[in-house]
Amino acid sequence: MTDSEGLTRLEYHVLLAMAEGPRYGYAIRDAVEEESARTLTPRAGTLYRVIARLITSGLVAEIQPPAEAEPHPGRPRRYYALTERGRTQLSDEAQRMRDAAALARRRLRNA
Amino acid sequence: MIGIVRFLVRLLPRPFREEFGDEVVAQAETELTRARAVSGSALWRAYVTTVADLVWSNIAERWRPSWFGRTGVVFTGGGEGMEQWIRDLRWAARSLRSSGGFAVTVVMVLGLAIGVNTAIFAVVDEVLLNPLEVEEPGRLVHITASAPGSGLPDEFGSSAELYLQYSELDDLFESVATYNWFTATFRTPDRTERVPMSAPTPSLFRMLGAEPALGRLPVADDEGMAVVLSHSAFQDWFGGDERILGRSYEIMGDSRSIVGVMPEGFGFPNERVLLWIPEEIRDDGDLEVGRFGVNVAARLRPGISMDAVPPRLEAAARLVTERYDVSANYERLLLEQHRAIVRPLADEIMGDVATPARIMLGAVLIVLLIACANVTNLLMVRAERRQGDFAVRSAIGAGRNDLARAQLAEVSLLAAAAGAVAVGVAWVSLPALVSAAPPNTPGLSGASIGVGALAATFVLSVASAFLCGALPTLRSAATTAVGVGSAGRGVSRRSRWGRDGLVVLQTAMALVLLVGSGLLMRSFQQLRAVDPGYDVDEVFTFQIAIEDEPGMEMGTDFARFHLDFMDQLRALPQVERVGLVNNVPLDEGVGSTRFVAEGDIAEDAGSQLGRTWVGGDYFDVMGIALLEGRAFDERDHLENPGFAILSRTAAQLLFPGEDPIGRRFTWPEGESIETVIGVVEDVMQYSYRDEVQPLVYLPMVLQWDEEWGLSSPAYVVKSPRAADLAPEVRELARAAAPTAPMYSVFTMQGLAADSMVSLSFALLVLGVASALALMLGTVGLYGVLSYVVAQRSREIGVRMALGAEAERVQRMVVTRGMRVVALGVGIGLVVAWLSAETLSALLFEVQSADATTFAVVSAALVAVGMLASYVPARRASLIDPVETLRDG
Repeated sequence: MTDSEGLTRLEYHVLLAMAEGPRYGYAIRDAVEEESARTLTPRAGTLYRVIARLITSGLVAEIQPPAEAEPHPGRPRRYYALTERGRTQLSDEAQRMRDAAALARRRLRNA
Repeated sequence: MIGIVRFLVRLLPRPFREEFGDEVVAQAETELTRARAVSGSALWRAYVTTVADLVWSNIAERWRPSWFGRTGVVFTGGGEGMEQWIRDLRWAARSLRSSGGFAVTVVMVLGLAIGVNTAIFAVVDEVLLNPLEVEEPGRLVHITASAPGSGLPDEFGSSAELYLQYSELDDLFESVATYNWFTATFRTPDRTERVPMSAPTPSLFRMLGAEPALGRLPVADDEGMAVVLSHSAFQDWFGGDERILGRSYEIMGDSRSIVGVMPEGFGFPNERVLLWIPEEIRDDGDLEVGRFGVNVAARLRPGISMDAVPPRLEAAARLVTERYDVSANYERLLLEQHRAIVRPLADEIMGDVATPARIMLGAVLIVLLIACANVTNLLMVRAERRQGDFAVRSAIGAGRNDLARAQLAEVSLLAAAAGAVAVGVAWVSLPALVSAAPPNTPGLSGASIGVGALAATFVLSVASAFLCGALPTLRSAATTAVGVGSAGRGVSRRSRWGRDGLVVLQTAMALVLLVGSGLLMRSFQQLRAVDPGYDVDEVFTFQIAIEDEPGMEMGTDFARFHLDFMDQLRALPQVERVGLVNNVPLDEGVGSTRFVAEGDIAEDAGSQLGRTWVGGDYFDVMGIALLEGRAFDERDHLENPGFAILSRTAAQLLFPGEDPIGRRFTWPEGESIETVIGVVEDVMQYSYRDEVQPLVYLPMVLQWDEEWGLSSPAYVVKSPRAADLAPEVRELARAAAPTAPMYSVFTMQGLAADSMVSLSFALLVLGVASALALMLGTVGLYGVLSYVVAQRSREIGVRMALGAEAERVQRMVVTRGMRVVALGVGIGLVVAWLSAETLSALLFEVQSADATTFAVVSAALVAVGMLASYVPARRASLIDPVETLRDG
């Protein structure tokens, strides 16, 4: 995945889930499900492959659990956050979607 | 469950697995835990999607890796990439092609077993996982009562006033509803039929969490003017025309307007119900207090446990005595004897279906296990033969993992092919299964090879691939270069134990299945040998709803119609005799009343006996033997002389030790007095399994002044053409009563077969399963012994060269086989003895630990084992010492 290819819907929603702050795996899954109006429910394998891809391309990084994170019984949760590049990419993508939507609205109105 | 998830994660490419493997497993665990809290079907869905997603991730991560390790360096080693995987598959395909017989055997054995599982799964899927097709079925309960010491049955339905009382327990229940089902007339301008329907309280739909597909749900304010259609009524009766909303039609004589249509698949309390006519139960003057038999269901509030409910219900019941004017008897019942019984609604609705469904699923899963044991054995034999090949590969640098992966690639190919065969097997066998299944089975109409069944096939294929592949894979991974020299010679002690163990397991499982089907078969025989007191051959029966016919009001009208119509039936060709009865055995139950012998003045005098009305030659048609006195004749019907006929048990109960002919009795509450003119043999009213019910037969009479007189009895027609009479009779009925629908059209033989269908279905499935088990088990034993003989041909050759007799060699091989079979039979007997209890609901006059069945089945299995060992044994004894020694 490079900048020119744009983001897949799932990648977009995963980035979007981290836009408010660092998130751990299951919280990302829930946010994606809710924010995609239940059209996307990433299962474990797919979700972590997307996270891995986003880390590989430098859009996401693993960080220390935030101080306010609630303690979790058992294994500590791993948190992921947007990098600067990720933030830019997400906002570019959002802009692109806004433009596309505006164009569609204009054309439909004229039709 | 999580085991397969862990296994699939372990197969992921190493860099990804090391970084994210634990997270993936934890995520999947959370997913399953959360789904389990919702419902069984949600768990199943989550499981299938998670496993499928992991399989896909395995492929995708090799094809386009998302992770190359923390360093960011792209890993290019040949071991993990897609290329290696493809190379493995190609190698596996090549090596399988070179041993076609082996591959075909494995694919057919696995495919057959998985296919049978898929078909059964398609049938029982909805039945077991979510028969009600509602939200959170776990919170739905069914409420009945018992009242020890009151003389009422051990368990009986609730009542209207109790329903009202329960409805006020807001902290316990989200909602409470009543329901029932019956058959009544539904009339549209161009069609009139008796159809199955239900008259629930309007709350039923919300309690189930159901939403209409069209229109709205009923509300209390509909005041009995609304009707809700099922999807099938909407399609069959109205061609799916949405404009019918708001239109009115006649149901049970009342005009009701359609307010809503339920979605496909919604059928409560069963799928045959075509429409619902909601009736609110109100606390007004019309409420009849103390009438039991009302089905009450409720949805518990979240967090309320089922055990907490009965004491609260009993307390609520005691309040009834304060609110209503109740009899002293009823007050005592409510205050002292009443016990509430609460159970899951699903159990109540599923009734007798759940147990056979579980048994069948268990049986076919055992078949799959046996098949897996067989395939494992074959794979182990093959792996042993190829030890040399593996040793060479490991000598030139292949690691343990490479060898294991190669083996796994082979198993995966086999499982994929078996999966494809399985879909074919299921597709062919499902229609046969559905047609053999009991017609009332909830969810059965929807049984098809759909997404669920295909997912099941997929999961079963993957699971069996791992199950079959695990042992041989571990074995081959243990091979090292050191083994090259010795490969292919002799049999290691460990692998011998492994293979024998598998045969022991197969024998044990086959025995369990055979005992199960043996027990069912004996029950079936016993049930067929039961004498129900009547003869079902050549009898045709039907009813006409003549109360729907204009001008039919008084009992006299009905009786006149029936007498005329019986004459018309007698005139049909080859009709021998005609009669009628208010409640035909095997289709309808009879009501009961207290009958008291004349002169018996004790306070608790009399007996609770069933009662029904008969006309024409009823006893003759049904072959019910007349034991004493005479049957009714024409005059008894026309003149109403007050005669009655008793069944044998009824006569013994009313007049113990006396001759009942000429004796008189009164009923109900002394209102009417009858003279006994005859005694007939007892009959089984409900099914061949139940005790006979004592019955009082009264004549259908012409002078009947009450409105509720015999409106629509069942006609019984004796004719060698019983099975073909329906069209002619329909013609006659249409001419005699044009607007009255004809219904309950059966042959008595058909009713008798229906009453045994759940047993015969279980017997069919278990029979097929045990036949497969026996076949696979035999093949397994034969295969192992053949292999042993082939492996030891050198040793046997030496022995024979040294003078061992052929007979002794044969005995040696057979003994080996019999030792394995005997151990399997021993283990199987214990397991069968422990698990046969699960069959008890289906058994009839056979103990679940029936010694004969156990003995016969064990003997049969030993005999088959002997046969399977004899063939290889004979081959061994024919070994030519010179040949083998020269080859060696």
